[in-house]
Amino acid sequence: MLETQRLIIGAALVSACLAMPARANAQQQDTTRGVRIGLTYQPGTKPGVVVFPVSGPDGDSIQAMVQRDFDYGDRIEVIGGDAVQQTARTQASKNAIDFTIWKSLSAAAVVQISVMGSTAHVNVYDVAAKKLAAAHDVTVSGAPNSEEWRMSVHAMSDQIEQWITGVHGIAATRILYVRGNRIYVIDSDGFGEHAVSGPGTVLAPAWAPDGHTIAFSELARAGWNVVLRDLTTGREHTVSSTPGGLNITPAFSPDGQWLCYAHGEENGTDLYMVSASGSGAARRVTVGRGTDNVSPTFSPDGARLAFTSGRAGHPEVYTSDADGSNVDLLTPFNFGDQNYRSNPDWSPDGRLIAFQSQLDGRFQIMTITLRDRTVKQLTSEGINEDPTWAPDGRHLAFTSSRTGVKEIFVLDAESGRARQLTHDAGARLAAWSRGTGAP
Amino acid sequence: MKTLLRCLAPVALAATGACFATSNDVKLLQGQVDSLRIASVRADSVHAAQLNQVIATLGLVRDSLGTVSGHVEKLQGDVRGDLHDVNEQLLQIQQLTGQSQNRLQELRASIEQRNQDAGESAPPTGTQPAKGATAAPSTASPAPGAPGSNEPGPNQLYQLGMEQLQRGSPSTAVQAFQKLLQDYSTADIAPEAQFYLGEAYRAQGNAAAADTAYSLVIQKYPKSPHAPTALYKRALYLEQQGNATAARALLNQLISSYPQSDEAALARDHLRDLK
Repeated sequence: MLETQRLIIGAALVSACLAMPARANAQQQDTTRGVRIGLTYQPGTKPGVVVFPVSGPDGDSIQAMVQRDFDYGDRIEVIGGDAVQQTARTQASKNAIDFTIWKSLSAAAVVQISVMGSTAHVNVYDVAAKKLAAAHDVTVSGAPNSEEWRMSVHAMSDQIEQWITGVHGIAATRILYVRGNRIYVIDSDGFGEHAVSGPGTVLAPAWAPDGHTIAFSELARAGWNVVLRDLTTGREHTVSSTPGGLNITPAFSPDGQWLCYAHGEENGTDLYMVSASGSGAARRVTVGRGTDNVSPTFSPDGARLAFTSGRAGHPEVYTSDADGSNVDLLTPFNFGDQNYRSNPDWSPDGRLIAFQSQLDGRFQIMTITLRDRTVKQLTSEGINEDPTWAPDGRHLAFTSSRTGVKEIFVLDAESGRARQLTHDAGARLAAWSRGTGAP
Repeated sequence: MKTLLRCLAPVALAATGACFATSNDVKLLQGQVDSLRIASVRADSVHAAQLNQVIATLGLVRDSLGTVSGHVEKLQGDVRGDLHDVNEQLLQIQQLTGQSQNRLQELRASIEQRNQDAGESAPPTGTQPAKGATAAPSTASPAPGAPGSNEPGPNQLYQLGMEQLQRGSPSTAVQAFQKLLQDYSTADIAPEAQFYLGEAYRAQGNAAAADTAYSLVIQKYPKSPHAPTALYKRALYLEQQGNATAARALLNQLISSYPQSDEAALARDHLRDLK
């Protein structure tokens, strides 16, 4: 009788889930093991995961956030739907997980979370092995739905993603962008948007690796200044090493020790390096000879720079050692080509540089591999500019006009799946925070 | 008193007598004055006409000069623009040449790889002599990198070193570059390998070994495009070691030996800040 009932429920669940997208490359034979709990799943596919209803205060919100984080992470396929949730609820209440049903739905793992006070107990079950694979207590701090609380839930999602796939998630990250004349920050899931700069015209925000200091350009009486702001204390100070003129496009070195930015006067714009505190003498690191050299980005080891330079007559992306020597043209172009390429961002794994490339007068996002300089076009819809890598080296945020107005979009460079992050016209110049919080 | 007056009267008469002239004399004098005035006015009008002519001529000259100056400025602008375009095109050509060099380098490496593959797949020399041909005894093994050789050629080693360096495996890169420099010290690619050996050591965190490798670039391949870079890196290393005097000497050497290089421009800046 029990067996018959189980079969009926299983059949109903399979029917309910038929609408779900089929697993890509389901015919592949090879399997890959997750780093922490050894789940097996096919490479190129996303392991299916069932998130049980979360017990405890604000459980529904936590479950929804975790499912959304998994979905936006593009490494896990969330198996959901009313029938699934009803079955999960029943099993959770009986404290008895029936792995056969979840296996029939191609689930690789079941995630069960229970919250007590500020502690969330997380169990991750391996469906194939029919056993508990990981059990951890995670702190969920702050008042429900506060910024701190949401970040701690995102951090839990990222941790679970690492246990299942071996790769830390990017949910607990934030993105800076400019709208109008102000800088805003927004969580990676599109929530918690708020302004972080005062009145005044600002441009080109950048994160320090510490996750709470930002740098940006601000229009002042004597020109553009680079300003450092601590988001925790709200304290600001101006980089005074090159007073006056144009001081724009700041970028922090990966170790947070150096700040590189473009300083321009009448005879062109060059990149300068200064200590991250913004004090002391700035050292020039490009020799533009009257041309403009802007938008620096560091390699992950901090040893190299990529930047936009107009030294060949039109902007192209170049690389150099961080001391300014050993300059090399990175982006290929044909002689006489007036389309140009600019605004590079070095991927966190060091393999790729994303940049914007003009095609028939419209910018598109592209990547180039450092090893063999293979160029790959990632966007084609509307005008797409100013790419910035997520810490996982897989997702990119960029400015897109595909909806008719400028908004920030997030793109999974592997699958090509894009989602809209901001929903107010005029958002541009995104900068993704650095760390993932991975141990 | 009367006597005195009587004495002075003839003297006064004699003195004033010379001042009296006839009316003819006066008319004559007036005529002469009028003539002089007319002559003066005539001369003035001639001068005025001449001056006007000179002024008009000067105006014409000024206009001509302005036109010529405009032409010259336009010409200068055109020449400057043309020179700028030529410079840009030269830069583009240089940079595209650099890219072509990279592609050629990859091509050379793949040719060496094919030669090596062909050598591996071909039957051992002498085992199947061609019909009618005399099988020559194989005493010497083929040169490394040549068809039939199992040893990687210099371009393969360079390519391998660069790939390992770029993927974050500097230790393997060091081995590849060292083997290249040891086995093919006269190869065209040797200066590049010597420089990137330094870069690989630097990536390993072995600054002293990197400095030695850079110094060999300067010493053995002073005409290499990497020589000024190597000099600059040596100067920075010495500065980090607290040897500002030696650093300054190297920066000055860089400026005098490679004045047109980017590194020379950086060195000039750096010398100003070096204490």
